Amino acid sequence: MTGPIGPNDVKAIADEALDLLGADGVEVLLMHEWGGLTRFANSSIHQSTWREDTAVKVRVIAGGRIGVSTSNDFSKEGARRAAASALEIALVAAPDPAFAGLAPAAEVKDLDRFDEATARTTPEERAEGVATLVAQLEDGFHAAGAFDTTSVEVAIANSEGQHCYAPYTQSTLTTVVSGGDGGAGSADVTAGRVSEIDPEAVGRRAFEKARDSQSARDLEPGRYEVVLESLAVDTLVSFLAYMGFGGRGIAEGRSPFSGKQGLKVCDDSIDIFDDALSAETLGIPFDFEGTPKRRISIIEHGVFLTGVHDRRSAKQSGTESTGHALPPPNPEGPFPLNLFLGTGDAAIEDMIAGTRRGLLVSKFHYSNIVHPIETTITGMTRDGTWLIENGVIAYPVKNFRFTQSILEALSNVEMIGRDSVLASEFFFAASRVPALKISGFNFTSKSDH
Amino acid sequence: MLERVQLAVDAARRAGAGYADARHVSEETESLTVRNQELEGIDRTLSQGVGIRALVDGYWGFAATVHGEEAEIERTAVLATTIARAASRLPMEPVRLAPVEPVHAVWETHVHEDPFAVPLDEKMALLMEASRRMQEVEGVSFAEGSLDFYRRQTSFASSEGAAIEQTVINSGGGLVATAIRDGEVQRRSYPTSGRGDLRAAGYEHIRSLGLPAEAERIGRQAVELLSAKDCPSEITTLVLDGDQMMSQVHESVGHPLELDRVLGMEEAYAGTSFVRLSDRGKLRYGSDLVTLSADATISGGLGTFGFDDEGVPAQRVILVESGVFQGFISSRETASVLGPGSVSSGAMRADGWQNMPLIRMTNINLEPGEGTLEEILGDTTDGIYMATNQSWSIDDKRVNFQFGCEIAWRIKNGRRTELYKNPNYTGITTEFWGSCDAVGGPEEWRVWGTPNCGKGQPGQVARVGHGTSPARFRNVRVGVR
Repeated sequence: MTGPIGPNDVKAIADEALDLLGADGVEVLLMHEWGGLTRFANSSIHQSTWREDTAVKVRVIAGGRIGVSTSNDFSKEGARRAAASALEIALVAAPDPAFAGLAPAAEVKDLDRFDEATARTTPEERAEGVATLVAQLEDGFHAAGAFDTTSVEVAIANSEGQHCYAPYTQSTLTTVVSGGDGGAGSADVTAGRVSEIDPEAVGRRAFEKARDSQSARDLEPGRYEVVLESLAVDTLVSFLAYMGFGGRGIAEGRSPFSGKQGLKVCDDSIDIFDDALSAETLGIPFDFEGTPKRRISIIEHGVFLTGVHDRRSAKQSGTESTGHALPPPNPEGPFPLNLFLGTGDAAIEDMIAGTRRGLLVSKFHYSNIVHPIETTITGMTRDGTWLIENGVIAYPVKNFRFTQSILEALSNVEMIGRDSVLASEFFFAASRVPALKISGFNFTSKSDH
Repeated sequence: MLERVQLAVDAARRAGAGYADARHVSEETESLTVRNQELEGIDRTLSQGVGIRALVDGYWGFAATVHGEEAEIERTAVLATTIARAASRLPMEPVRLAPVEPVHAVWETHVHEDPFAVPLDEKMALLMEASRRMQEVEGVSFAEGSLDFYRRQTSFASSEGAAIEQTVINSGGGLVATAIRDGEVQRRSYPTSGRGDLRAAGYEHIRSLGLPAEAERIGRQAVELLSAKDCPSEITTLVLDGDQMMSQVHESVGHPLELDRVLGMEEAYAGTSFVRLSDRGKLRYGSDLVTLSADATISGGLGTFGFDDEGVPAQRVILVESGVFQGFISSRETASVLGPGSVSSGAMRADGWQNMPLIRMTNINLEPGEGTLEEILGDTTDGIYMATNQSWSIDDKRVNFQFGCEIAWRIKNGRRTELYKNPNYTGITTEFWGSCDAVGGPEEWRVWGTPNCGKGQPGQVARVGHGTSPARFRNVRVGVR
């Protein structure tokens, strides 16, 4: 099986690109990714895959002009060719006055996030995990989902002397269980080590939701109290970040947080921060420019403190990079990949007991932006929605469409869960968020299932 | 590269595969972005590798490698068979493949001008000029332009004897003017949103778009939108421009009629479909004016090619005829579920060499009706006219949808009157298509490109096409807030 290339061999390839005549500066991003994904549907494995890919992305600066070229030829010759191609582009490109220079040499933490057992996971082991999950279902129900074990090496090197390398592993098991009279339930778990994935628990949780959401009834849309489980909260936090937390959008007036620094934007109980170094998340300790990551408080006690920056947006705002660059070229600017919504002290049961007439929402589906400055998004509920009456779950209801301002929802938070879940609304980011009880949430139409 | 993929097929067969196919894919891309007459980036990429699919005792396995050495390709082929055997841990009805005649063929997108041969400085000059013209409009905050080019070369071989070499070239570009004032952000795009209009074509397509000539208009509209009223909340007659019809067809026709989705194979990701196998020839999908096809043979569509990634020839199939559902978008595996004599619609495509082919839309087209946009508007007493997609959302069975558009106008007694900002509309798929009472004619019909269609686990992105013309719908809820 494939294994890590290792920091020394990766550096040897990077050095080939750095040794480029005619350039004022060179930055090399190297990636090596391998792993398998066992996909299942109708309680059978229908698409099971394995792949190994590499990338050498070279950014060249010449006379204030920038060129970027990427190849998956992960060899010294491939690195030299990518560098030459990037230089060729830079020589004809227009000058980039917003370029803020390459990241200086700096130390990055070793997070020890590579798990040999995860990297060595076989297709047979993933199939066994799926079989264990499926075994939790009663007759008349079936499961669909994916069991993924991925290993990644990332390295950045530049002509300013910065060189950082980090390997990590990640495993995700997701499932939707459906059947009976049309009910469905889902469960997802993401971890750095495959040993932290419990297929039995995932299957049981999804099955119980599917079982308990049978014979869903019609309910009229409107404004309801809601108890949002963690996966639904992840949608709100991730879209808020997408619309608003990037320093470039804030500086350019495109963000709901433009001009809001130091102002209250939601309930006092809300804390949102980004912390790639926390043991409770995944990823690497530096960004895609090689700037070390650190904890950044974005919203504290409901007050917006700061957005996140790469070197370009930091220059634009007269500050320093916070270590949130994405791979170049990146017209969208910086983005927080490791968000946290601070936990509270409530159990889901407390939230349900505290609801007079509202909805328990498992998950949102296919959400999208309606109004970015008002932070309004729309989407559907999915895989289990229930009416709560007088503190108890009354019955399952058919899916609703919501159209809701995220900041308005976060201004009406009544309880925050004491436990948090690592979730991923966007494939390239992971957030750790708790459940929330919110006093009012707008459901604008309904579906037929 | 055909020798290389034949090697993979042979290795998989020796390792026990009853059927195997392999693709070597080499994909080049070039992307330019300009904002406010400054270059945001030029990016070139090259990705190549081999993907091998093996069917062992009716179970699929897929493995892909970046390494090109013979030994590595053989090792990967054997791994594909190992993965297939592991899948048998959970029993299922063995996969069967609908028949296809194996062919030896070479196919290439017809282009007049190789987009990769056009100098970068010429491309930049075009975007800089368009950006300059947008910026000249007072009130425009951001004036962006982009160009994207793709060349995908595929060598395909199967254990049934197919040997196909194919080169698909896609080119596209677009502009976005953004105006910001008092906490309001408004955008106008040309020719449409999402990095513009991509086609299976060469640089001649970019020249035909006339980007600089449209720059001032969209800049002006973005600024005018800042002062416009919000789209009112009401139930009314809705006329959609052709570029929004692209999104409407994509989400509420293309995806629900993918046969793998209907069979539950996509349930855990974007969901299933309200359409059932038994609905063929029975389900009233839309009004009599609604006829939809999947056609990979038309000129210029992003879903236009010679052969899919199972070696099935490009073809045209009718999905909905005069409002009645007739057929699915299918693969060899899923077509076999429809019964003896059923064949693939030729829609299996993979995102690069690294991914297993999935059923993807080809060019999903709303067949033209009659009349021009102005005639449709002229025949409308009261309603709203919306253009250019801004957002999309649909439920996990493709029933309840909501779309946002960039711009709208009130239609009053056949004329466009008041301008509205932040328009959106919502509906239920079959009710909405059932309310269609006008579809624009051939003079309004054109092919649009959707370059970012997501599907599958691991996630894949496909470039697909949609031929549409403007259309009118009755009793639609607009202005959802």
